[in-house]
Amino acid sequence: MAQREPDIHVADLRKTFRVPEREGGLRAALRSLAHREYRDVDAVAGISFDIAPGEVVGFLGPNGAGKTTTLKMLSGLLHPTSGAVAVLGRAPARREPSFLRQITLVMGNRNQLQWDLPVLDSFEMNRAIYRIPPEEFRRTRDELVDLLDFGDLVRTPVRNLSLGERMKAEIAGALLHRPRVLFLDEPTIGLDVTMQKRIRTFIAEYNRRHEATVLLTSHYMADIAALCRRVVVIHHGEILYDGQLSALGDQFEAVKTISVTLGDGGTDLSVYGEVTARDGATVTLKVPRADASRVAATLLRDHVVSDLTIEDTPVEDVIERVFAREATRA
Amino acid sequence: MREPLRPLRLAWTFFRISALNELQYRVNFFLQLVQSLVAVATALAVLALVFSHTAQLGGWSRDELLAVLGVHILMGGVIRAVIQPNMQRLIDDVRQGTLDYALTKPADAQLLASTREFRIWQGVDVLVGAVVLAVAAVRVEAAVGIWSALGFAVALLLGAILVYCFWLALTIGAFWIVRMEFIVELFDGVYQAGRWPVTIYPGWLRIGFTFLVPIAFAVTLPAEGVTGRLDGATLAGAAAFTAALLAFTRWLWRTGLRRYAGASA
Repeated sequence: MAQREPDIHVADLRKTFRVPEREGGLRAALRSLAHREYRDVDAVAGISFDIAPGEVVGFLGPNGAGKTTTLKMLSGLLHPTSGAVAVLGRAPARREPSFLRQITLVMGNRNQLQWDLPVLDSFEMNRAIYRIPPEEFRRTRDELVDLLDFGDLVRTPVRNLSLGERMKAEIAGALLHRPRVLFLDEPTIGLDVTMQKRIRTFIAEYNRRHEATVLLTSHYMADIAALCRRVVVIHHGEILYDGQLSALGDQFEAVKTISVTLGDGGTDLSVYGEVTARDGATVTLKVPRADASRVAATLLRDHVVSDLTIEDTPVEDVIERVFAREATRA
Repeated sequence: MREPLRPLRLAWTFFRISALNELQYRVNFFLQLVQSLVAVATALAVLALVFSHTAQLGGWSRDELLAVLGVHILMGGVIRAVIQPNMQRLIDDVRQGTLDYALTKPADAQLLASTREFRIWQGVDVLVGAVVLAVAAVRVEAAVGIWSALGFAVALLLGAILVYCFWLALTIGAFWIVRMEFIVELFDGVYQAGRWPVTIYPGWLRIGFTFLVPIAFAVTLPAEGVTGRLDGATLAGAAAFTAALLAFTRWLWRTGLRRYAGASA
């Protein structure tokens, strides 16, 4: 039955915060002491999606889009203002121990390991909290330490670890109880490229081995591109896009990029499309998506072409443009 | 599946891990020991000074006040080893939003927040206090029987719980007011007053030290146990008050959690 049901079900989910509001200045500050004015802010304004077991979904959006608020509602930290949310068939906000034992939350910018203790001791504390049987605990711990290439660092106090090592330890500690659902909020923030890659590979491997469901937010498109086939794009608390990462461009980007290197050189190609760059004999053109193949064929027919590529706009650029467009509209 | 002893087991695991770690830093033990001994010496000098002028203070003899001093040091050790570090960490967690982690764990969040930190070397005061108390018990003329020993133990436990409740109630304030660091100094200042039995203070102060800041319960009551002044009715009253305060802080904790929405949304 669990196989058919989605692991995460969200329907018309809303979270409204009441924030005190006042003008700057002393007079306004004094006035607000007596009479506070509030403004309702919709952090999440009616979103719906389902995530199937074993799926890895990227959750994209600029700062303040409502990603973290959604993750907090999914992990039981915040009560929704309205709408439905179910994770593994439970209401997260009830925070039932049997539910909490099956999920994990990792926040890249916040530590949960004991600062002064060796990593192994923090793991031991988690073992006690999650009541993991000793044999299973040892097995999982060794597997995670091995997968993350952590080695002897487990004996080092957390405060003596580098940022990247600490993140590895955080992630290992958060997975000791083998959760079925992982909420990862910026797990690679601040890490160097090699370490980002390492964490990424690890998440993919964990997902493969344990068929865990992963909802991941990241500002690094490389993370998303490497891990998630599906993305949910959220902005101003609303979902802008939910679907294949590869199809994101189709919906939001109306152009393709053609790079052409000409044998005859120097020709003006602006009749074929917008020329965005010219580097010696290589010219870069932007053409409407639907016209791309026709333009390419025409170029090949009319010119001596030594090289030609048609490319989708990089996802980063698409996303950036989506958010920029939405921001000006808002 | 209810396991009544599970909270204790969890607390014990946390205690064991922190204790084993701190045992490595043996120099801290000697530093703390020196500090404790200096504090005791100072307190004894003050006591000697007071009793060079009088034979009794508010009905308490010199040896009885020694018992009060012993309990004061002992309870101070418990506070600094267990209660204060955990509450400090809770305040930090609320400010940094890391309390989120405690709330996503399948264990009681209040228990987790109250047992994560142990400063074992701060507990040296517990030993020093116990020694002072033992000396006082030998010198007090009323024989310390099994019942007064038991009464003392119960009063000490109730006192520790009350101090914990008091701290927790203040700390929960951090859910509303983010800057709460000042309460550490505030408490330390008031706790110093507990070096003397609360009965020597004027009425209004005595009431304050009993019900607002539970110094009377934390220090004077256990000392009364040692000196054979504690009666069953007082102890029962203390137990009832402790139970009520425990229930109140539990309620306050839940209310605070509802208020808590993490440092960033």
